[in-house]
Amino acid sequence: MVDSLFPTIDTTDDVASPESRRKRRRISETSKEAAESSSEAQRINEESSKRWRTNRVQQIYASKLIEALRRVRQRSNDAGKITSVAREIRDTADRVLAASARGTSRWSRSILAARVRACLKKHKKAKSKGTRKPRKDTAAERRRVEKLPAVERKLKILGRLVPGCRKVDVPNLLDEASDYIAALEMQVRAMESLAELLAAAAPPSTTLTRP
Amino acid sequence: MLEGLVSPESLSLSYADMSVPERLKWLQQHQQQEVLSQSNNDSPELLQILQFYGSNNDELLQSTFSHFQMLGANYNMGFGPSHEAMDGCISRTGSCQIDPADTMGVMLKNSEENRAISFKTKRKSEVKTREQEKTEKKIKVEAETESNMKGKSNMSNKEASSDTLKETSKGASEIQKLDYIHVRARRGQATDRHSLAERARREKISKKMKYLQDLVPGCNQVTGKAGTLDEIINYVQSLQRQVEFLSMKLAVLNPELDLSVEDLSVKQFQAYSSNLPVIVASKPLIMVDVPLFPLDQQGSLDLSVINLNQTTTIEAVRFYHSENFSDYSKFLLLVWEVTCLLYLFASAIYKLGNSVT
Repeated sequence: MVDSLFPTIDTTDDVASPESRRKRRRISETSKEAAESSSEAQRINEESSKRWRTNRVQQIYASKLIEALRRVRQRSNDAGKITSVAREIRDTADRVLAASARGTSRWSRSILAARVRACLKKHKKAKSKGTRKPRKDTAAERRRVEKLPAVERKLKILGRLVPGCRKVDVPNLLDEASDYIAALEMQVRAMESLAELLAAAAPPSTTLTRP
Repeated sequence: MLEGLVSPESLSLSYADMSVPERLKWLQQHQQQEVLSQSNNDSPELLQILQFYGSNNDELLQSTFSHFQMLGANYNMGFGPSHEAMDGCISRTGSCQIDPADTMGVMLKNSEENRAISFKTKRKSEVKTREQEKTEKKIKVEAETESNMKGKSNMSNKEASSDTLKETSKGASEIQKLDYIHVRARRGQATDRHSLAERARREKISKKMKYLQDLVPGCNQVTGKAGTLDEIINYVQSLQRQVEFLSMKLAVLNPELDLSVEDLSVKQFQAYSSNLPVIVASKPLIMVDVPLFPLDQQGSLDLSVINLNQTTTIEAVRFYHSENFSDYSKFLLLVWEVTCLLYLFASAIYKLGNSVT
């Protein structure tokens, strides 16, 4: 079913801009001429972005997403608050995204592991949730933190944004961030199209965003 | 091209203007002394070279200027100030045509192997001598950029010219090391193991930042690591917010999932390809003019938000990707709007839920 839904999606359209495409082509050209491992980093980056833009990945993601959403609906059983359902859907979507990453990236492993950890905690029920040490915001520590150069502060923030990358060093963090961005873009596109489809197919009374 | 270079923009480089003409004059003097001290066998050829320059000044000047201009465009890293200064200097001396010719002569006389008359072959052999100056260390990152230089003749020419100019300006004589061509250790910089490793690490990081700049839209305007990181952080946050928003939307539309699954038609899903993060710059979604928007004027924004309710919310979020949004302040505007939309949407859904049940 899902295959029929993606007949004309062009992978080349998905690329952000023609300039980036040209740059990537130039990069791949130079990689042919150069020594091997120097271009490895670039190849990894290229391949990571291409990975998230192929038709096949999108189809896999869309089908898994639909399945997961159906299961969520059954589990929630028309819960009253929409926000909790929304949160569940978001977590499900993230997990599906991480699953389709096939464990090659750190953030995907962290997302999947977090769920396992939560399940274990629920089963154990013994320890309290306050295992994480709360950072007492002393003045000295605040001063030390603020003294860090701006770039490093921003890198820390980025590490906090990308799941599972708090203590990762800078080059790996940048790699993870690029992969994560590519994956998020794909997720947004898939969910958008799904939502639009549902909105179009649904009876007009429920479509609020269309006049 | 000549006129363009003599234009005021190129002359606006004021910080190095004082030193550069002096530096050039010193160069000329130095090189003239070198010419005199060289063997007489070479002099007829050199004279021919100079005559060649004297006669074909226009062509030369244009090629020099084009090279230096492109140098300015392509090389930001360490070369920036030095050859921007050169640019300004050369443009000022554009009227007297001897100076650029002398600088070309300077570049030629540096590499002692270049005795050919044709212009391009000189450039290429200069590249070869430059290679022989490298120190030995097998860092392949530099090897890639090195062969990158070789592969593209234009780029290599410019690189050679800028490099040799830098060398002569430092006043050091050339030591030709016939070592591995792996690392471009720039002259005058430390060549011990630690700094080389450090430099390799820094170049790796900067390469990754450049790649991220390609990935994140609107990152090209900002220069420097801090601005780029800012944009990246904003972009990741906006994507995560979009996901949340869409999940809320799907939560509403979820009951129809079973019903509409069979109805999903090909034509509808073709809308998929058009829903990409497209640069939507045309549609005036935001009624309030951006510069007039301080965050405390929430009263006036409310009206525009109500107007926004009539348009697709997705488009509002997509508007981020338009090229108008380069500022962080403008992004704050978008953030505020998105949260307004979320709030409106959620409240509307709640009312609907209440009415249905």
